[in-house]
Amino acid sequence: MFEFLFNYPLAVYQKGTFVFSSGWPAAALAAGLLAMAALLAWLFRRRRLPVKRTLALAAIEWSLLALLLLLLWRPALSVTVLKPQQNVIAVVVDTSRSMALEQRYRQALALYEERLGGDLKKRFPVRLYQAGEAPARVDRLPAEPAAQRTDLGAALRHIASESSLLPVGAVVLLTDGADNGGNLGPETIEALRRARIPVHAVGFGSERITQDIEILDADLPARVLPSSRLLLTATLRQSGFRGRTARLTVRDGDRVLAQRDVRLPADGETWRETLSLNAGGAGVKTLDIAVQPMEGETNPRNNRVERLVDVRGRKPRILYFEGEPRWEMKFLRRAVEEDPQLDLTSIVRTTENRFYRQGIRSPQELERGLPSTVGELFAFQALIIGNVEAGYFTPVQQNLIREFADRRGGGVLFLGGRAALGDGGWQRSPVAEMLPVSLPDRKGAFRRQPATVELTRAGAESLLLRIEEDPEKNAARWKALPYLADYQETGQPKPGATVLAEAIPGVRLRHPLLVTQNYGRGRVAVLATGGTWRWQMAQDARDQSHEIFWQQLLRWLAGAVEEHVTLLATRQTYSGGEAAVIRAEVRDRNYLPATSAVVSVHLLGPGGIRDTIELAPARGEPGVYEARWRAPRPGAYLAEAIAREGLEELGRDTVTFRREDGSEEFFRTEQDRRLLERLAQQTGGRYYRPSETGDLVKEIELSEAGITVRETRPVWNAPAAFLLLAGLKTFEWLVRRRWGAV
Amino acid sequence: MRRPVGVLSAALVLAGSLFAFQRGYGNIRRLFPDTGNDSPPPGSQEKTEFYFARLRYPNIRASGIWAMRGSWTVDYPKADRQFLQGLVRLTRIHANPMERVVDLIGDEIFNYPFVYVVEPGHWDLPDSQARKLREFIDRGGFLFTDDFHGTFEWELFTASLNKAFADRPIVDIEDDDPIFHVLYDLDHRMQVPGIVNYPFQRTFEYDGIEPKWRAWRDAKGRIAIGICFNMDQGDAWEWADNPHYPEKYASQAYRTAINYILYAMTH
Repeated sequence: MFEFLFNYPLAVYQKGTFVFSSGWPAAALAAGLLAMAALLAWLFRRRRLPVKRTLALAAIEWSLLALLLLLLWRPALSVTVLKPQQNVIAVVVDTSRSMALEQRYRQALALYEERLGGDLKKRFPVRLYQAGEAPARVDRLPAEPAAQRTDLGAALRHIASESSLLPVGAVVLLTDGADNGGNLGPETIEALRRARIPVHAVGFGSERITQDIEILDADLPARVLPSSRLLLTATLRQSGFRGRTARLTVRDGDRVLAQRDVRLPADGETWRETLSLNAGGAGVKTLDIAVQPMEGETNPRNNRVERLVDVRGRKPRILYFEGEPRWEMKFLRRAVEEDPQLDLTSIVRTTENRFYRQGIRSPQELERGLPSTVGELFAFQALIIGNVEAGYFTPVQQNLIREFADRRGGGVLFLGGRAALGDGGWQRSPVAEMLPVSLPDRKGAFRRQPATVELTRAGAESLLLRIEEDPEKNAARWKALPYLADYQETGQPKPGATVLAEAIPGVRLRHPLLVTQNYGRGRVAVLATGGTWRWQMAQDARDQSHEIFWQQLLRWLAGAVEEHVTLLATRQTYSGGEAAVIRAEVRDRNYLPATSAVVSVHLLGPGGIRDTIELAPARGEPGVYEARWRAPRPGAYLAEAIAREGLEELGRDTVTFRREDGSEEFFRTEQDRRLLERLAQQTGGRYYRPSETGDLVKEIELSEAGITVRETRPVWNAPAAFLLLAGLKTFEWLVRRRWGAV
Repeated sequence: MRRPVGVLSAALVLAGSLFAFQRGYGNIRRLFPDTGNDSPPPGSQEKTEFYFARLRYPNIRASGIWAMRGSWTVDYPKADRQFLQGLVRLTRIHANPMERVVDLIGDEIFNYPFVYVVEPGHWDLPDSQARKLREFIDRGGFLFTDDFHGTFEWELFTASLNKAFADRPIVDIEDDDPIFHVLYDLDHRMQVPGIVNYPFQRTFEYDGIEPKWRAWRDAKGRIAIGICFNMDQGDAWEWADNPHYPEKYASQAYRTAINYILYAMTH
C-alpha cells in the first residue's frame, strides 16, 4: 500500500534524501508560498464570516495552492543503489541444530529456494554461506541442520573480510538468532560497519518458548574441600506449565545429592533455585543437574546440564593464636577435630612467658609464638587471631598478618575478647586497614553479657551460616541457639564488607557479629565474640550447630586459598570448534608474581588422550601464563600445570574442563529477535519476519556497500500527492456548504 | 572369697585410722584453725572467663565411721579461693577469685565447663544426676575429682560413676600425657596428703597407700574426668599459707590443678 501511494518502499524514503528535480531555487518556492499567503489574506479580508471560519477556509486554500506549487518544483528522492549484477549478495543460512526445532530450517530453505534465492539472482550474483561451527561457502545447503554450534559472528566477519576483494553489497541472514559462538560482539559489528555492509536478518522460530522448562545456567564452585557444603544456583525458565510442580535433582552418577520440588512461576519468567549439597569425597565429579521433563514438553534436552566439581583432598592448615586460655579455644579445637579436612595448629599464651602449642609438626615449630617470617607464617592457609593485644606483636608481625591476606591470599579471622579488636588497640595498627569494620578507638567494647544472634539477609543466604539445608529451618535454628557468653562492639562495617550476623544483647541493641570482606588476594572476617562455646555447652550433646558453624567458617576461611600455582580454564565447557584457554598464575617463594617461570601443562583426556603444552607469559599480566588448546574429542579433560624457576619447582595445580558438542544448541532456543534487530539496525539493514520478505530484494538495492550509483527517483507523481489535492478540495467544498459560504 | 577378705582388711585399716584420727584431730585443728572468713573476696562480682565450680552432690547414707566423712563442702571455701589466687598469679587465665557452687539438678552446671568435686568417695548420685553428669561431660565439660582414698571410697566413687560412664574404663594416666605437661612438667609426682596426716610421716589414708592419677577418657581419647585418687589437693590449697603444711605438697597441688585446668581449656 505504501509503495502504491508513494511510488517506493518506505526504506527508500528512510535512506534517500529529498531534492527538487526542477532545478529551480528553493528560495523561489518559499517566496511563492509567502506571496500566496498574502494574496489570500487580501482576498479574504471582506468576507462576512466569523474570524475563525475565515481563517480556516484561508488555510485550506493556502494548503491547496502550496501543494500545487511544491509539485511544480518536482520533488524527488536521491538514493544510493547497488549496480545490478555487479555486486555480490551474501546469503548466510544458519545450519545449526537449533534450526531443526519448529521446522525453522525447512522454512528457511523453502524461503530461499522457492522465492528469495530466485529474486536475488535476477539482480545480483549470490554467494551462499552456512553459519555453523565455522563459516563455509557452499553451493547447496545441507538437507538437515546438523552444526553443533551457531557462530553467526564468525560467518559475518568472514564475509566482511572477503569484502576487501569482492564487492559485497549486502548480507541476507536466515537464522533463529540463537548464537552461541560468542563472536557477535562489537568487533564484528565494527568490521561490518567499516565495510558498509548492511545485514538484513530474517528471523525464524517462536520468539518465546512454549511448553518448555529450561535450565539456563547452573553455578557452583569449581573447587571445594571434601565433604564441603556447596551451594548450587540453577537459573531456570519455563513456559506453558505455570503453577505446576517440577522436580529439580542434582546427581553424582546414580547418587542423588539434592532434590527439590519447585512450583513453576509465570510463563516466560526466569527464576533461580539454590540447593545446598555435600561435595562428598575427593575426586573430580560430574554433577548432573536436571529438571524432570513435563508431559508434552517440546524440548526436554534443555532440562539438564552437567557441571564439573574438583573435590580436592587437601587439608589446609590453620594457625590459631590465643592470648590467654579461653573456653572458645577448647571448643573451637573440638569442632575442628571433627572435620578431617581441617588441620588446626594452635598457640596459647598460658603464662606471660610460656606458650602451649597443639598440632605442631615438630618440637621447634612455633617455638617463639607467632612467626615473624614469610616462610613460617605463609606455610598456613588461614590465621585466627584470638584475644590478644595488637601491641603484643612486633611491627614486623603485624605487617606480616596483613600481608598474609593481601599477598599470600590467606584467610584471617579476628575473634572478640577483652584484649581483642578495639580493646586490644588493633585500630591503631597496620592491621586495621584489612579489617572489615572500623574499630572504635576506646576500651570497654567487650562485654561479658549474653547476646542472642540474628542472621542478616546476607547471612541467611550465605552457605557459611547454613546449619540446616532448608533456609527457613536454618533461620529458625539460629533463632533457637543459646545466647553467646559475650560480645564486642566492632564499630561500623566498612564499605564492601558483608555483615552476616548480628549480636543482640538487648532490646533495640544490635551489633555486627560476623563481618567478612575480601582483602587483597585473601579473605578477612571478624567474629566479635569469644563466647560461641555456649552453643556447645548449653545444647544437647548430639546437637551439631557449634561444630557445623566452625567447620564451615574455617573451610570458608582456608578452603579457597591458592598456593604458588593456580591453574584455571576460562570456561568449564567448550564446544567442538573452540580452543580451551588455559591460564596459570604463578607466584614465587615470597608469593610475588613469578615472571621467569617455565610452566608446562600435561593434559589427559578421554580414550587415553595425552598432550603436553607450554604456557607463554600473558602480555601485561606479570606472573600469568596462558595457552590455547583444542580438545580433540568430547569428554572430560584434566590439566596439570607444573611451574619451575630454574631447577626449583614452584608448585603445581590441576584444573578440569569438558568438551561438549551440540548441547548448547538445545538451550536458549527461542528466536533472539532483539539480537537480530540490533544487528540489522547497527549495520544499516533491517529485520524481517519470513512473511514480510516481499520487499527484501528491493531494499537490498539501497546499499552503500560494493559498487553503487546515485539515483534520483521522482515523487511528485506519486498518487498520494494527487489524492491529497483532491481531498483538500473536497474538504473545502464540504466546509463551505455547511457554513453557507458557497 | 577374695572380696570378703578385702573388705575385712579395709575395715580393720579404717578402724585403726579412725582411732588415730580421733586421738590426734584436736591437736591438728589447733595447728590448722578455720579462719571463719567466708565473705566474698574483692573482685568476685567481676564477670570473668573462668570460674572454679564446686559440685554439690548427695552423700551416701553411711553409718559408723563413714557417716563422719564425706561432704561436698570439705575445705570449702578457703581451698578454692586460695587456689584461685595462685591460678590468677601464675597463669594468664582470667579467673574469678570466688568459687561457684553447682549441682546436677538444674542446668546451671552447663555454664561452667570445669567442675571440681571433693570426696566423691562418698557421693551417691541418683540415676538422673549421673546421667546429667554424663551429658555435661559429653558436651565438653571437665570434672576434676579429689580427696578420696582407699578401696572403700573407690568402690563408692565408681558405683555412682558407673551409672553413666560404664561404657569406657577408668585408666591410669601415662607420665607423658599432655595433662602433665601443659604448663608444668609433672613427671615426678608425690602423694599430696591431707592435714589429717600431720606431721606427714605418713601421707596416705586408709589403704590408699599409692597415689593414683587416673582418668575417664572420652571417645576421642581426651581426658574428661581427671581422677586424683589417694591424695588431697584440697587440703594442700587450703593450707598452703600455713607453715605447718609442707610447701612441696602445696606446690605440687597447685601445679597439678593448674595443669588440669589448662588441659580442660585446651582439649
